[in-house]
Amino acid sequence: VIDCDVHNNLNSLSELGPWLDPTWRQYIESGGYGGFSLPNYPYVHPSGFFMGDAAPPSGGIPGSDYEHLKTQLLDAWDIDYAILNGEDILNISCIPNREFGTALAKAHNRWTLDVWLPRDERLRASIVVNVEDPEAAAREIQELADHPGVVQVLVPTGAHRGYGDRFYRPLFRAAAECGLPVAMHAGADGLGNNPPPTGAGYPSFYIEYHTLIFSSAMAHLVSLICNGVFEELPDLRFVSIETGVAWLPGVLWRLDANWKALRMEVPWIKELPSETVRRKVRFTSQPLEQPASLQKLRALLSVVDGMDEMLMFATDYPHWDVDVPAATGRKLPDGWSERVLHENARELYGLPAKAPVPVAAA
Amino acid sequence: VTGTTERHGRARVLDIGELPPGTSRTVEAFGMDIALFNVQGELFAVAAKCPHAGGPLCHGKVGGTPLPSAPYEYRWGMDDRVLTCPWHGWQFELETGESLFDPLVAIATYRVEVNDGSIYVSEC
Repeated sequence: VIDCDVHNNLNSLSELGPWLDPTWRQYIESGGYGGFSLPNYPYVHPSGFFMGDAAPPSGGIPGSDYEHLKTQLLDAWDIDYAILNGEDILNISCIPNREFGTALAKAHNRWTLDVWLPRDERLRASIVVNVEDPEAAAREIQELADHPGVVQVLVPTGAHRGYGDRFYRPLFRAAAECGLPVAMHAGADGLGNNPPPTGAGYPSFYIEYHTLIFSSAMAHLVSLICNGVFEELPDLRFVSIETGVAWLPGVLWRLDANWKALRMEVPWIKELPSETVRRKVRFTSQPLEQPASLQKLRALLSVVDGMDEMLMFATDYPHWDVDVPAATGRKLPDGWSERVLHENARELYGLPAKAPVPVAAA
Repeated sequence: VTGTTERHGRARVLDIGELPPGTSRTVEAFGMDIALFNVQGELFAVAAKCPHAGGPLCHGKVGGTPLPSAPYEYRWGMDDRVLTCPWHGWQFELETGESLFDPLVAIATYRVEVNDGSIYVSEC
């Protein structure tokens, strides 16, 4: 099993101190900078964002203790590879001070690579970049791309513009040139100076926010296609993490149909948008939609041609809405689980195959 | 207008004076509705209905279109060669009938000739 979304966490920002300029250490320690959203994270799960049993026995925040993560996730669920995506660091796009955001991203990446990866050969890292400083993001990508543990570049759904906007192109170009997929993880929408999480502004409740977790993901995907980013950067691969998949047929149908009528506006699009998405984009499974009937879920997943090759398993450990590999495997259409649980991610990230299990032990 | 079938697959449909440059008409020949266009003296005949939703192609505009390009580049071309359906904007190359988004989606085209002041269409 390859888990495409695992959240390793800091107990406090000051843990990044060794990789930060003293200016920023002081900003955090004396200035009292408390976190990645200003002034506070506005949407709170009423009983907590984390799995109830994810707090390490050693104390500390869920996801902060390797031993607990190893026992509870890697060993218990037979994970071959886990991709570490960090936790609140995803939200740095909402920090108005771009230099501070970029410094935090760089420090967090070095913390993940230096502290986390050496602990376990099953761990791989996404590198986090500050999307609102695309030139700095490009330099960070170029600097870390050759690290053997780095598998992709991570950006949040919360951003000032659609990701197809040419403002972001240096980031995407650097990733494509370095052979790293860019992954967009739900988060940072409506935080700090980011735009509201939905077109209807700020939801009242976390249940609204979480239900609509895909709304800006849809906008970014359509933006990337319509701005010709995949035409301009043929090597670019893109991943949408934790943004659901049930919306995909509707959006792709609309985009394909509109392109047939409106291609004059975007003459650089030379094939059906759904075909580009099929070849270039992957989606992680968690939180897999949960209709009352599994048959309907399977039917919906089968609606998009090639979905069996686009979907990659993720747990979202240690969050409250965690998906378990065996349970997700059972929900999928017949014959999909091998591709979804590991092969699609193995191909995308170029991960070595797991050593074959001897027949006697299987 | 109903054409007079002279021989199998060829029909006289209009006097040339009935289709001045810049105009279009729907005619009937061999049981088919056909949209006729006079584009600056050059005649084209295609199926009268768009395969998408049945839009009346004879009311479509004939013009050019931005050619396939690199991102953010607009290069106008195919002037007087592109027919745009008046309903949803699907575009077809007048000469081949192929849609601009997928050559497998196409409208039928017919050969047009002018003889002795009459317009004839025939099946290609």
